[in-house]
Amino acid sequence: MKILVPTKRVPDTDQKIVASADGLRVETDHIPHVINPFDAIAVEEAVRISERLRDVEVVAVGIGGPEYEQPLRTALAMGAARGIIVQCAKPLDPWNVSRLLKAIVERETPDLVLMGKQAVDDDANQTGQFLAALLDWPQATFASRLEFIGNELRVDRETDHGIETLTLTLPALVTTDLRLNEPRYASMAGIMKARKKPLETIAAGELGVPLEPRVEVIRYRSGDTRRAGERLASLDEFAALIAQAAGIGG
Amino acid sequence: MRILVITEHDGTTLRPASLSCLGFAQQAARPSSGEVAWLVLGQGIADVAAAAAQYAPVIAIDAAGLEHELAESYARAIAEVVKSGRFDLVAAASSTFAKDIFPRAAALHGGAMASDVVRHEWADGRLLFDCPRFAGAVTATIALHGSPQFVTVRASAYPAAVPLSQAATVEPMELPPATFARRARYEGLRSKQTARPDVAEARVVVSGGRAFKSAEDFERYVGGLADVLGAATGSSRALVDAGIAPNELQVGQTGKIVAPDLYLALGISGAVQHLAGMKNSKKIAAVNSDPDAPIFEVADFGFVGDVYAVTPELIKRLEQNGAGATG
Amino acid sequence: MSKAITADAIIIGGGVAGLSTAMQLAGRGAKVIVLERERIGNGSTGRAAGLLGQLRGNAEHTRMLMDGVEIVRELEKQAGVEIFVPTGSLRIAETPERAEEIAALVAMGKSIGFEIDHASADEVSRMLPYMRTDDLLDACYSPTDGHIQPAELVSAYLKIGKARGVEYRTHTPVVQILLDGDRVRGVRATDGEYHADVVVNAGGPWSYLNAELADAVLPTAAIGHYYLTTRPDPAHPVDRLSPAIRDRHLRLYTRPESGGLIVGIYDPEPELHDMRRLPVDFDMSRMKAARDSIQVAQLLDAANRRFPWIDGRTPMSITTGIMTFTPDARPFCGKMPDIDGLYHCSGFSGHGIVQSPTIGLIMSQLILDGESTYDCESIEADRYFDVPGYVNRVEIEEKCVRMAGNYYGGVERPRPVASGSR
Repeated sequence: MKILVPTKRVPDTDQKIVASADGLRVETDHIPHVINPFDAIAVEEAVRISERLRDVEVVAVGIGGPEYEQPLRTALAMGAARGIIVQCAKPLDPWNVSRLLKAIVERETPDLVLMGKQAVDDDANQTGQFLAALLDWPQATFASRLEFIGNELRVDRETDHGIETLTLTLPALVTTDLRLNEPRYASMAGIMKARKKPLETIAAGELGVPLEPRVEVIRYRSGDTRRAGERLASLDEFAALIAQAAGIGG
Repeated sequence: MRILVITEHDGTTLRPASLSCLGFAQQAARPSSGEVAWLVLGQGIADVAAAAAQYAPVIAIDAAGLEHELAESYARAIAEVVKSGRFDLVAAASSTFAKDIFPRAAALHGGAMASDVVRHEWADGRLLFDCPRFAGAVTATIALHGSPQFVTVRASAYPAAVPLSQAATVEPMELPPATFARRARYEGLRSKQTARPDVAEARVVVSGGRAFKSAEDFERYVGGLADVLGAATGSSRALVDAGIAPNELQVGQTGKIVAPDLYLALGISGAVQHLAGMKNSKKIAAVNSDPDAPIFEVADFGFVGDVYAVTPELIKRLEQNGAGATG
Repeated sequence: MSKAITADAIIIGGGVAGLSTAMQLAGRGAKVIVLERERIGNGSTGRAAGLLGQLRGNAEHTRMLMDGVEIVRELEKQAGVEIFVPTGSLRIAETPERAEEIAALVAMGKSIGFEIDHASADEVSRMLPYMRTDDLLDACYSPTDGHIQPAELVSAYLKIGKARGVEYRTHTPVVQILLDGDRVRGVRATDGEYHADVVVNAGGPWSYLNAELADAVLPTAAIGHYYLTTRPDPAHPVDRLSPAIRDRHLRLYTRPESGGLIVGIYDPEPELHDMRRLPVDFDMSRMKAARDSIQVAQLLDAANRRFPWIDGRTPMSITTGIMTFTPDARPFCGKMPDIDGLYHCSGFSGHGIVQSPTIGLIMSQLILDGESTYDCESIEADRYFDVPGYVNRVEIEEKCVRMAGNYYGGVERPRPVASGSR
């Protein structure tokens, strides 16, 4: 079995992130970049499957400039077998990422594409579903548990109304939610081995996918920062304000 | 401009978020005197379609193949309706339902999509959308290239649509059986057993953080106060990680994003990840023993104290308050 | 703010060093203002594990730490919080060199009346069933050691400091130290001037930059540090009062935390941080380790050798932060000869939490009395003042990094002390 794990390099969103003064960019240059946390969960799940089942190859993919090797190195150190970087100088929107990924899927013919439910930079939550539609594959988004039963994959999904269970026929696409697993930290052996693992570079142009821009950012602005309010000394007053805001009582 | 709004429902009633999304669509349609219609999908949906018609004309697809909300068949059905009805804009309220199905439908029409729209504007004949990024730290104003365009809308950002004076029409529609083909099988739903409202939909949320040391304490204090206020309970990631609060209560960047009338944070320090999930609440109140806790920087009103001491006092006072109103 | 605020002392930095000094100064009637760049206790203080091993190679340091426990007991009474957790501590030896070190340590401890004795591998195994012990040659146990809970210590300093009238200003970086000839006159912060005859530089990793505001050189360096905290695991329960462990061979220290185990490492090739490159409102609590961090991998490998149940897949969190090292791993407390009124209180080299109770007292004595009841020779701020090779940042950082890298690595040879001596 082959599992393909697309990854994205994102700024660490635990850092303070603001728009540039002219509104044309988001200031992320000074911020450390990491593998998208949901993608790390996807890598971890794929590696666990490869540790549990026989003959499972985990292939990590990244799309972007040379710096996009970084999440792939992380994936390899965590246990992926090899990496593919699709070189593309321009930042892409989810539609074009999913179209390039479709081309990679057609070359690699994996049984399962496992990827983060969203990237924590643009928070779009679109790429996995786009790709599933382009491939006409069954999908299970927001997975919190995976189990292979014969040639089928049973997936628990986190929905607003509880845990939904689906069974997918392979090949299939699954996007990972936070509680699927807790990604590992690579061991020294993992990091050393990763240095010798194959990392293939493909120019985006070679994939025969003309870019079709869909999202044009007009401007960015920093989120509304709330001003600190009143600190109350009296519990009676505090309770009264709560009652008022909740619309109960006087 | 023709706008189609996808309803979300539980088989009998519309979810309130859908009405807010209709509110968005009506606002967006107004400058061009555009038309807004509902799409109700499912099996045995006559009641929902009738309820939806109180607000706008309805296209109803009642089919056995739509019994469960599965992305493959729902996305194809939406795409078919969009095509045959020549809609320019397709909208749904942000929810796990829409997030699952909508991008898949958008991909069948060229992938012009915006997620989690919180504001829109018309500029030079183009409809622009404000979308939060970086967990809300930055808002991007974007234009989409291509048509039709698909958007999911944060329900908390728009007022609910108001009923029409006279109910609109319900137009049933049939789709070819191939629309419903799929290779995913529905096995079941383990729903949450709780008398309290869903944290994502509640008007008032009482949320507990690291200060609570056990599930029993969480239920007694956070749950107790929530019940007095008719509120949902929520929690910070720390409590979910510690196994003290169940997963589905987690509010934050990686959990639920909520915007209730009142968000009451008990013993939550206010890490950025948590703030990302609740800072758009209309009012925020906080109790924390640490006067320098970051939660106070976003709270409209705060009280410094130990939640174990303060919460029972609040429950007592609010019970009296509630009794005073009814009696 | 148009008019300058005046005080007896301005303290730059709201970590444990500044907070303790402020509390002690205010206890003797001084009007004190603490200016904190970001939030109180959110720098190195907020990232610390707080291990307290009282027995040091230097008898005066041992006395300072033992007295610190007494001060903490008093703070606990006044603030009503549990700060010190008396878990006891173990040092373990898996090589002959380390065994010799332990023998010397036990002899030295006994010579000054400190409670310490050898422990056999079996005894250690009974105390710490979750630790590998089959390779141990020797160990020693000190029942009065433990750890200080950093957050609780900060809240006690704050509570008592506030009661004594200390003013704390957060999100208020100092941008200039005001001098009048060779005398300090106050500071300029982002919100205006603060005038005082005493300015205390308690800026932790930022303290060398603070010193530069007065054209002074403080030979400290900002060094990265990592520890892991396992989540509670029923298969490997860690009692709240399990002894702390120091394994100098593997460069590890551990202590219990919320049912899990903290395991930290003094990395042989530590990371050097350039504090100037960090934003002025840098929030240390947001620092994070990459999934493929070399430092974390080294920590995990070492942890796995002592605790075979810990590996990269063990549910855990990684804490990383910045500590302040000096060329000899001892702090700088006091004045330099060339500027009057500017006191330094920094460079705790990973021991700021446990040293802070006594250091605050010492600083208040140095500032108000001009001398301390402790022998401060080894922690004097000016001990490198005239020494060649401690002017240039590159040289200083090289020396500090070497010290940090050798920390736990080098073999200690503590000597027994004749009774009665300090």
